Amino acid sequence: MQALDIAGLSAGYGRYDVIHDISLRVERGEAVALLGPNGAGKTTVLRAIMGMIKQRRGQISVLGTDVSRMPVHLIARGHVALVPEGRRLFLDQSVEDNLRLGGLHLRRDHERTERLLESVFELFPVVERYRSRPATALSGGEQQMVAIGRMMMSDPDLMLLDEPSLGLAPLAIEDMAQALITLRERGRSILLVEQRVDLALQVCDRIYVLSGGRIVEEGNSENVNADGRALIDAYLG
Amino acid sequence: MLQVLLSGLSIGAVYGLVAMAFAVVFYVTRVINFATGQLLMVAIMLTAGLSKAGLPDWLSISVGLTASTAAGVVIYFVAVRPVLRFDRFSFAWLVSTLGVAIVLQSAAAIIYGPTSQGFPKLLNRDNLVIGGASITLQELLAIIVAVVAVVGFEIFRRRTLFGKVGMAISSDPEMASAIGARVTAYAVAAFAIGGLLAGAAGVLIGPITYANPYLGDTYGITGFVALMIGGIERPAAAMGGGLVLGVLSVGANTFIGSQASDWFPFVVVVVVLLLAPHGLFASGDALKRLASGIGRRTATLKGAN
Repeated sequence: MQALDIAGLSAGYGRYDVIHDISLRVERGEAVALLGPNGAGKTTVLRAIMGMIKQRRGQISVLGTDVSRMPVHLIARGHVALVPEGRRLFLDQSVEDNLRLGGLHLRRDHERTERLLESVFELFPVVERYRSRPATALSGGEQQMVAIGRMMMSDPDLMLLDEPSLGLAPLAIEDMAQALITLRERGRSILLVEQRVDLALQVCDRIYVLSGGRIVEEGNSENVNADGRALIDAYLG
Repeated sequence: MLQVLLSGLSIGAVYGLVAMAFAVVFYVTRVINFATGQLLMVAIMLTAGLSKAGLPDWLSISVGLTASTAAGVVIYFVAVRPVLRFDRFSFAWLVSTLGVAIVLQSAAAIIYGPTSQGFPKLLNRDNLVIGGASITLQELLAIIVAVVAVVGFEIFRRRTLFGKVGMAISSDPEMASAIGARVTAYAVAAFAIGGLLAGAAGVLIGPITYANPYLGDTYGITGFVALMIGGIERPAAAMGGGLVLGVLSVGANTFIGSQASDWFPFVVVVVVLLLAPHGLFASGDALKRLASGIGRRTATLKGAN
């Protein structure tokens, strides 16, 4: 059973479609990148998966369950978690509160919540050091760690990340890439939206290239490294 | 002076409860329920009507509070949710909640008649003398209820997971939804709490004002002014605004003239909005904000000269 299976998806804002007839899949335990230039519709794909925008056509299945018409909170409780562009932490709350809010639907399972919290602290020791600080007091890179930690706290079957490298210093990007590789090695299913091709190829097993709201290329990261790099560069400019 | 302070705090507690009713709804939904004053009126009219019909006071009050709470929820489903579902960035709730206010007020005027009716005296008969100043137990109860409302709300907001989810919804409802929060359930709860707070304000002021279908306008506007003075972003700040407004209004009546409380609150709100546009208690440091506001204005005037 696939972690994510999208078939013939069209969605957009108002009366206009931004993405057209998108089909893609993420196998269980696989990391997949969705690459594309600004305005290609990458974020729209993630928003459609999370139910944040209404899709017009197509079907989205997570672990075999059709989530196409589900409200956002039920999709989240059905084990899909999102790190949105710009992180969108709850800035007036502490780091620990942000993390615990990520595990909202597991609130009655204290043991599991504590275990997940420990795993976040293990992956990001700096987050444990700052657990009682307000989220707004952290640097961009540290906030990104908290955002990934918040996503981990729901113990999701599918992790969606929207341009996690955006606005980060090179060292912070490297830390974040290592964290994503660790998550992939732990068997997490990941759909990563990125503009940085090198980061996507470093982290992911397969890639899709999106341009003008349509998928124009797909393949394994290794093949892309060998043959398709020029093609991706052509699309990403 | 102590008399002004005590009387001001007791009426300010009522203003503060109405302001809190506005603020709790705004905090969670970013909607201002302009029928909040009418929820106060619903509690007063129903309590007065049932008491007049022979029901015990405690039962009349319970039904009145339940009715204002339920009316708050009905307003959400009838006047707010439909327009936000159509367009979540729409401001149509501004007109729809005003429409509900007019409907509730007109319905009460038709059912009960436009003139004032008696309201149970409750604790308004008994006086307490503190340092030469007298306060009725009803007024003391208003202050106690206000304190309990603020402390209870803040403990809930800061110390419980549900309160923290409410904070998350307040700062980013879409992201809160994406972590599994039931935003609609919180909106319903906010309107219910808003109705309960407005109803409580009604029961506390009823023995003084008596029951009148048009009370909603008066207390709705005053509560909104208190909200602007204290700050719209935090319910505790709104209560602070109510207390300040109460003390200043009673002070104006005492030191300026008996009708001064009719216009004085509006002078206060204009001054506050000029000096601290987000409200006196928006950042939790009223004096600092006021001082920096005065400093800014003085610098601007010097620059202009």
